Order: sequence, then structure tokens, then C-alpha cells
Amino acid sequence: MNSRFSTNVLSILSLAVLWEVAGRTLDSALIPPLSQIGAAWWKLLSSGKLLSNLTMSLATLAAGFFLAVLIGIVVGVLMGRFRAVEHFLDLYVNALMSAPMTAFVPVLILWFGLGVQSRIAVVFLFAVFVIIINTMTGVKQVDSVFVEMARSFGAKEKEIFFKIILPAAMPAIMAGVRLGMGRAVKGMVTAEMLLTLTGIGAMIMQYGSSFATDSLFAVILTILMVAMITMKLVQWVDQRLTGWKVEIAIE
Amino acid sequence: MIEIQGISKSFQKTVKNNSTELRALANVSLSIRENEFVSIIGPSGCGKTTLLKIIDGLIPCDSGGISINGKHVSAPGPDRAVVFQTFALLPWRTVLANVEFSLELRRLPKEERERTAREYLKRVGLADFENHYPHELSGGMQQRAGLARALAVNPMILLMDEPFGSVDAQTRQLLQEELLELWQRERKTVIFVTHSMDEAVYLSDRVVVMTPRPGKVAEVLDVPLPRPRLPDEVRRDPKFVDLTNYIWDSLKKAMENHHE
Repeated sequence: MNSRFSTNVLSILSLAVLWEVAGRTLDSALIPPLSQIGAAWWKLLSSGKLLSNLTMSLATLAAGFFLAVLIGIVVGVLMGRFRAVEHFLDLYVNALMSAPMTAFVPVLILWFGLGVQSRIAVVFLFAVFVIIINTMTGVKQVDSVFVEMARSFGAKEKEIFFKIILPAAMPAIMAGVRLGMGRAVKGMVTAEMLLTLTGIGAMIMQYGSSFATDSLFAVILTILMVAMITMKLVQWVDQRLTGWKVEIAIE
Repeated sequence: MIEIQGISKSFQKTVKNNSTELRALANVSLSIRENEFVSIIGPSGCGKTTLLKIIDGLIPCDSGGISINGKHVSAPGPDRAVVFQTFALLPWRTVLANVEFSLELRRLPKEERERTAREYLKRVGLADFENHYPHELSGGMQQRAGLARALAVNPMILLMDEPFGSVDAQTRQLLQEELLELWQRERKTVIFVTHSMDEAVYLSDRVVVMTPRPGKVAEVLDVPLPRPRLPDEVRRDPKFVDLTNYIWDSLKKAMENHHE
């Protein structure tokens, strides 16, 4: 853990140095040195512009992702438990899992307009299918001997679900949630760039088209940080819910 | 008293749209007395496990029936508990929580659950391991936890499905001795499925020899060895040696007849 952390720091530091040196040597507006990006980042932060946009983006992300987790787990569980539901839905889920979600943006504009609902819908669609598929797989792969054991001790269907199926499938569900989180961040930025220019997506478009590369990179780095922090957050929840599994993996 | 009357069971086996009927059990009858230790031995696939599951009420039979003290069995009940070959311990629960599982389903309050679970963990020698997870224990210890979980609900009948089949030979002998001690103290009816002739004779009052698929009762043998049985003495007893040899011959005969 510690050596991993120090290697991570080393990796970031060497990239930062390389970037700074390259920026200064090339002396091009296209690759500003890191120090200049940092200055631009600080300016955006202290003016309040970055935070207000970020708050708006994160609200969309939270709403869309929450819906995706909720509906993704419910649908995934139903598909994993009932073969009829699986066969009824798996065609669409599999198709939509790998379809480019950006193609649906015009449809969403028609349905939901240009407001926040559309952006939430994009985040939702980006994230939900990978959660459904992982949940379904997890539920289907629960060792039948556990179910048999529970039944033998007199468990009812409800108890079998909450005491056996759900905890046994939790590692797979959380894997889906983790992947869904990454996709949700992509959905958030996509929606803000393609739908209505709001949030940090709008800042990217604005600075990109006006060649303000230092501010542009500052926003991009902010998005990377958001992606990393949200991922850590999901990992933290995962660890709390399925710590038993991680222990096994370490051995 | 357990009455097994004319049990038959078939499974549909489907391979590439070809459905074939697989006869697991054919007309199995047997009666087992209270507090009796009965082993069921037979070649792989003779339906021993299927028979155990039918007695537990986990799967229905096609014809015939089971009754316990005159009451017909159609579903799992509080008078029976199973010890599984693969232990079936829940990996996300500690040993204590695993033993509590069977008690949770009986809706006992938390305090009573913990007290009972600890008591049975002590009896199987796992008192110091209640906070361990199953994967941190050896196979033998995992099965002790499985046994504690079954005993904790205080069943009349213990159904054991090759419980010591996946532990090493030394541990297996230890577990056999411990099981006999527990059985002598707690006085339960035990139906014990096994592959091992030695194990069947050492543990049982009677040994049921089954034929290959479809499983039928080939022979029911009394074990004329006095109890308590000291493991080393018993195994040197000529009656022990004769009986294991006899069972081996009986199994061979059953398998030869099957091939003809």
C-alpha cells in the first residue's frame, strides 16, 4: 500500500516535470507549461467560476448516477432472478450497453427539452446498463448450495433474497457501480458539451474555441480530479460492503 | 422414527435438446429408529445425496413417501438439519454469524442467538474462532462450524452428506471421533452419507448398502461393535475387519450386477 502510494506520487511528479519542461521548451500556446495552467486554475477557482460550474455539474452527476444505481440494481436483480425477465430484456440491455450513447442525445432533447432533465437522462443512460449487466451476472452466479442451505434451515423466499442472494451478489453489483461511476462522469461532460452549454462542459467548449489553452487544461485536470475522487468514493463504499471479498483477494 | 416408503425419483437431463430421463432412486424403503446412527454407502451417483435431500424435504419424490413420527414430510422442518459436504458457510459472515444464521431464521432475539451460537461453537472446539471468516479456517474447522450451525437449532435428526469427504485423512479421523462423542451426548438420529466403508462401520449402528443408479437398497447390515468405540481398538477388532470386507464384497457384487 505504502510503496504503491509513493509510486503513484512519483508518477504524477515526473509527468508534471516533463510537462513543465516541454511547455517551456516548445513555447507554444497549444501546450502551456504546467505552472501557467496552475495559475489559470487558481484564477478560475478564486473567481468562483469553477466552483459554481462544478457544483452544477456534480448535481447533475449525483442525480443521474443515483437513478442509475437504483434502477440498475432493481432491473439487474429481476433479470438475474427470473429467466422470463432476462429473456424479455437482455436484447435491449446488451445492445444499449455497447451502443454509443451520444447518438441518443438528439432524441433526449426532443423528449426532455434542453433543461436539466435531459442532462440527468444522459448521465443515467451512460451508467445504467453496465450496472444492470453486472448485477444480473452477480445474481445468477450465486452458488446454489447457499440457497439450498438456507432453504434447508427453513428460509422463506424473502429471506433467501436478503440474506443470501443480495450479499453474495454484492461484489459483482459493486463492480457494476464502479464502472457505472466512470461512465456517469463521461455522460455528465458529454451532456454539458452536446446538450446545453452548462457546467464544466461549457467551460471546456468556451476555452477550447477561444484558444485559452491554459484555462482549458485547468478544467480538464479538474474533471480528471472529479473522476478520481468519485471513483475513490465508490471504492470506499465497496470496501465497507464487501470487505470480506477483498480480504480473500489479498490472500 | 423415520419411515422411508418406496421412494422413487427421476431427473430430466437435457443435453443439446435431447431430453433423457435419469433414474436416481428406485423403490427405496428403510426405517430408522430414534437415536440411531445409520450410514448410507454406495458407489458415486447412486442417489445417496438425492435420498438425503428428499428426507430433508428439499426436493419432492416422484412416488413413495417419508414420514417422521407418523407425520408426512413435504418441506424442510425444524426437526431436521443438514451438514453439507462443501460446508456451505457464507463467506461474508464470521464463524459466529454463520452459526447464528440458522437461529436467525427461527426468529430468535439477537442475545439468545449469540449465546446459543457461542455454546455450540464451544462444543465443537471453535470457541476462539468466532470472529474469523470461513476462508481463514482449515477445512476441518469449517466443517466443525457447519456442524455447530446444524446442532444449534437442536434438531431431532441430523442429515450428513459426506461431511468429511473433503478434509484430509487425519482430520477426518478426529472429526469422526468428535462426532461420535457429540452424538453420544446429544442423542440424535443421524443419517450419514459416505463413500468410506471404514467410516460407515466405525460410526454406525447400521450400514445401508446401495446399488448403482438407479439406487436401490442392496443390503442393510447391523454393526455388532460395542460402544463407546475407541478408534484404534475398534479398527483392529476382527468383527470390524470382517464387516468392512463384507461391505466391499457387497458393493462389488452390486456394481457387477449393474454392468451385466
